[in-house]
Amino acid sequence: MASLDDPGEVREGFLCPLCLKDLQSFYHLQSHYEEEHSGEDGDVKGQIKSAVRSHLSDFKKHRAARIDHYVVEVNKLIIRLEKLTAFDRTNTESAKIRAIEKSVVPWVNDQDVPFCPDCGNKFSIRNRRHHCRLCGSIMCKKCMELISLPLANKLTSASKDSLSPHTSPSQSPNSVHGSRRASISSVSSVSSVLDEKDDDRIRCCTHCKDTLLKREQQIDEKEHTPDIVKLYEKLRLCMEKVDQKAPEYIRMAASLNAGETTYSLEHASDLRVEVQKVYELIDALSKKILTLDLKQDPPPHPNTLRLQRMIRYSATLFVQEKLLGLMSLPTKEQFEELKEKRKQEVERKKILERRATLESQQRLEERRSDLVSHATNGEVVSLRGGPAPLRKAEGWLPLSGGQGQIEDSDPLLQQIHNITSFIRQAKAAGRMDEVRTLQENLRQLQDEYDQQQTEKAIELSRRQAEEEDLQREQLQMLREREREREREQFQAASLHMRTRSLDFREIRPFQLEPGREPRNHLAHALDLGCSPAPSSAAPKTPSPSLALEPIRVWSGPPALGQEFFPQSTTSQHNEVPSLNPFDEEDLSSPAAEGTASPPAAEPSLGPPACVLKEYNPFEEEEEEEAVAGNPFTSPDSPAPSPFDEEDGHPHQRPSGPPVPGNPFEEAPCTNPFEVDSESGQEGEEPIEEELLLQQIDNIKAYIFDAKQCGRLDEVEVLTENLRELKHTLAKQKGGAD
Amino acid sequence: MNVVFAVKQYISKMIEDSGPGMKVLLMDKETTGIVSMVYTQSEILQKEVYLFERIDSQNREIMKHLKAICFLRPTKENVNYLIQELRRPKYSIYFIYFSNVISKSDVKSLAEADEQEVVAEVQEFYGDYIAVNPHLFSLNILGCCQGRNWDPVQLSRATQGLTALLLSLKKCPMIRYQLSSEAAKRLAECVKQVITKEYELFEFRRTEVPPLLLILDRCDDAITPLLNQWTYQAMVHELLGINNNRIDLSRVPGISKDLREVVLSAENDEFYANNMYLNFAEIGSNIKNLMEDFQKKKPKEQQKLESIADMKAFVENYPQFKKMSGTVSKHVTVVGELSRLVSERNLLEVSEVEQELACQNDHSSALQNVKRLLQSPKVTEFDAARLVMLYALHYERHSSNSLPGLMMDLRNKGVSEKYRKLVSTVVEYGGKRVRGSDLFSPKDAVAITKQFLKGLKGVENVYTQHQPFLHETLDHLIKGKLKENLYPYLGPSTLRDRPQDIIVFIIGGATYEEALTVYNLNRTTPGVRIVLGGTTVHNTKSFLEEVLASGLHSRSKDSSQVTSRLASRR
Repeated sequence: MASLDDPGEVREGFLCPLCLKDLQSFYHLQSHYEEEHSGEDGDVKGQIKSAVRSHLSDFKKHRAARIDHYVVEVNKLIIRLEKLTAFDRTNTESAKIRAIEKSVVPWVNDQDVPFCPDCGNKFSIRNRRHHCRLCGSIMCKKCMELISLPLANKLTSASKDSLSPHTSPSQSPNSVHGSRRASISSVSSVSSVLDEKDDDRIRCCTHCKDTLLKREQQIDEKEHTPDIVKLYEKLRLCMEKVDQKAPEYIRMAASLNAGETTYSLEHASDLRVEVQKVYELIDALSKKILTLDLKQDPPPHPNTLRLQRMIRYSATLFVQEKLLGLMSLPTKEQFEELKEKRKQEVERKKILERRATLESQQRLEERRSDLVSHATNGEVVSLRGGPAPLRKAEGWLPLSGGQGQIEDSDPLLQQIHNITSFIRQAKAAGRMDEVRTLQENLRQLQDEYDQQQTEKAIELSRRQAEEEDLQREQLQMLREREREREREQFQAASLHMRTRSLDFREIRPFQLEPGREPRNHLAHALDLGCSPAPSSAAPKTPSPSLALEPIRVWSGPPALGQEFFPQSTTSQHNEVPSLNPFDEEDLSSPAAEGTASPPAAEPSLGPPACVLKEYNPFEEEEEEEAVAGNPFTSPDSPAPSPFDEEDGHPHQRPSGPPVPGNPFEEAPCTNPFEVDSESGQEGEEPIEEELLLQQIDNIKAYIFDAKQCGRLDEVEVLTENLRELKHTLAKQKGGAD
Repeated sequence: MNVVFAVKQYISKMIEDSGPGMKVLLMDKETTGIVSMVYTQSEILQKEVYLFERIDSQNREIMKHLKAICFLRPTKENVNYLIQELRRPKYSIYFIYFSNVISKSDVKSLAEADEQEVVAEVQEFYGDYIAVNPHLFSLNILGCCQGRNWDPVQLSRATQGLTALLLSLKKCPMIRYQLSSEAAKRLAECVKQVITKEYELFEFRRTEVPPLLLILDRCDDAITPLLNQWTYQAMVHELLGINNNRIDLSRVPGISKDLREVVLSAENDEFYANNMYLNFAEIGSNIKNLMEDFQKKKPKEQQKLESIADMKAFVENYPQFKKMSGTVSKHVTVVGELSRLVSERNLLEVSEVEQELACQNDHSSALQNVKRLLQSPKVTEFDAARLVMLYALHYERHSSNSLPGLMMDLRNKGVSEKYRKLVSTVVEYGGKRVRGSDLFSPKDAVAITKQFLKGLKGVENVYTQHQPFLHETLDHLIKGKLKENLYPYLGPSTLRDRPQDIIVFIIGGATYEEALTVYNLNRTTPGVRIVLGGTTVHNTKSFLEEVLASGLHSRSKDSSQVTSRLASRR
């Protein structure tokens, strides 16, 4: 392709028209085209390659003939119905009604029909003849149908409003009974007259009624748009938006990350925020679809539920697929450096072309030094209030991932080193206020480190007590479930899901449904899936390490005394998501929450429920929104900065502590509707925590997932991660104190 | 000439044509299989198809907010279901696609049922076959023949499948068939008939060299489906069985729940696509590489995620990692099970003797080896029976044929009567008397020299020395040397040039070994594109079922068979 940029070159030979590869011979070219591009050329040619044949015109011709007949039939009935209901039936004598009815459609002669045409029974004095008021045919009483006036009105006015009855049903026909008897005029039709007067309904045959009912159904459907359709349309709109914007953003980000100056950084970050908001919306909408009508009393048809799950699943797939491709942006400082580097590199390339080996070495060195200065600069700026808007763009450089901990494996130690160096630099720059802040940070960090060491020791002893913990945990579970069962007996169906969510073992089948079941279903229905998921009946053995995890974490801090407060707040926060799955729609029944969380079970039960809350990582994100407004902030969170999955900032890691004051970081992860209102410094810290929480939840989801798939080694690794994360969180809270 | 692509294009087209909105795909049993071979669940979800329903399922809810795409075979049954559906429509609008030619009267009765005007499209999309590989298709018909002649139902299905294939590839071919097979001739005539009748459909842009349809009969080569296979796809089918890309692993000891049934599809499994034609040894090393690759990506206990950055990177990569781990565990399980079966059933040794029986002509050594293996307790009755079948087929007319002795050995080994009877049935099915060409002894000087040289050099791989007879047939066909007296043209016109686009159809089922042969021919012969099809794709087990279903019996009933055959030929 490089040769293409060179305008001077003209290529000839057996070139592939699509990729311009020289294939040497006709045969090679043909086979190359078949192999490489056979999938593409459908679009190239703009039309299907294979043969088709349409029968539509034929079909329409036949249908038109039929439809004409059908429509005429229906219209005829409706017109007659209109005539039959046009006058006030209640206040009209039955003789007169009969006259009108007979004028609408000629009645079939009684003598012509000795047997009921529908059931074949012979007519007699007991089995009398009835006339259809709409077509005039005769049937017996058993085969007779009635059309109520409201229905008639609805059909004639073709509007739902007319469902409210015109004539009040209280006006009973009894009052006119006498007159009807008097109106007997012919012996032959005596049978038809002996019943009550039809002042609120119209007699007809099954065929006419059938036709009219079909018509009614059509009317109904025309007017009714189910909620799912409305939500779904919104969802699709969002997806289209992403499809439009995401490639644009990726182009920008790629260009910016390469140090090019084609696009402006601000523009790109705006776009990023915009795209991420749309993702949030997609997630929220699809979740709403998932839980639509779930608590309705008769429960929706399984197919409806399947549809909802599939929509949710595909939205999840969509978000997963696209979101992961959304690379991050460099900060302004990084960007400057990137630009600089690119310039340098271009120059260097020219100079050092012949010394390739030397160059590679040099670059390595350069990069290392770059890294240090990056981190430093990023740090200093983030402390200042001013240029905050840019910081939201802080991104990870590809090289920054592994190199951070060359010196120290412990992030805290590393942080301490970093901060020390920042202080030095800040001093050199004469920024005393920053030095102060940094020193404060340093102090906290050191505290933190000590604390961590202590905790490690505690951790060791914990491990010995693990068996015990597990038993306790299980006991609690059992007790909880016992309580659960009692509660379930008198709780309404709509509440029971929520209640259950407290007991993570119980909830599993439910949790599995959204993510997993669709796959299952499909695998059965279509066998398309790659590998069918296991049935949702999860094994009842939560790995001990997992079950213990929260306890270990929560029991750590009290030993240290100082962290008691943050612990309890967190457990409360965790509880919100644990109750969550249906929280959004379930505002109507707050009572359940109260009953569902007996205080005794609270601290220990919250976290585990949360662990298994959802297997879908994207569900977590949303649930976290509930936590977004977290008032428990950690102003100088000494722990490494939380890492937001969507919005990776590798540079924050080494430069963790002072990061909090960044108003833009929250944008990708908060509720899209909250973002705009939150611009002050106040709202920022909770976000950090939220990110952390979110991450924890993500990892928990992965653990759950991995466990479901029986990959125990992964579970272990993830559990390890989780523990570390929780430490971080706990520490952050400690810092807030 | 890519059948997977052809079918996929049809499906994509019907989904696209229905426009935006939630969709349900209404299918019958067969079209469900057809669709599932070319589309994955997530792919089709992206196109807003959220539900998949069978037209014959009674438990469907009215969902007027869905559009229905109906992809159905044009059977009487389906038309009736559709008529009922249209009378009381469950969905807002119907896009109807038949997988084959539908009669005008059926269209009329459908039109008359559509009183609510819900039908927006009625088309024929000729995706009426199972696209297994890009160059391999199947009709999933097991037991296509009664005696030596077609089961009339299956004949019509095969005709439909083949004509649909031709239409989907836009080919209006010249037809050649195997003279020795009555069934081949019959099918060729039926296909020709359809082409003549639907000449409008078959009016494609003329290519310089017209495409060629070659119809063969399995009974000309009963050896290939009896051999153990050593390339991945073929081996999996032989030992585990592939059914519409799905593999049932539920009988594997200690299998985990989510691996009970796995899907092997070259369309969305890169590892499989790259390895399906490689032999077992190569797969072993590739699996190892895959594992190592996986291990590298996977954070180990030792290199714990020490910083949040590591963790973040890990979590970000997790979905990919998970996907990969799914692939790894799937293939590791499958290959593990294969090697377990290989050692448990002593298949290396069995296969070596099989290959000797199939490819060499040393009777005494072959007999000795078969006898030796029949004594081995590790050899299953199934493998023992197939060894004897191979022997019986090869040395059917050999002067010192000792089949009775081997049958005694089988009996002594405790092989069930079913298998023992099958030996003579297989000979009846594919013995010398039925074969149109000689399967074993080389026919011309070149071939004799080749084999001689081969004998001198020794073979590179004893387990894969066998070349299906199809290879020779196609080789001759490509070189323009395929004898017209054995494979005549249907109709007066003949092909003067070397053929370029070739469609081979094997009545009685193709095999994955033959698919591999075709794959290699496509690769190595520039300008020639071959598509292979069969009434089904066999492994030994299904082939024996096919033989059994054909109703041929051992020689005692031979005479009656011959007379009935004559009678049916008339």
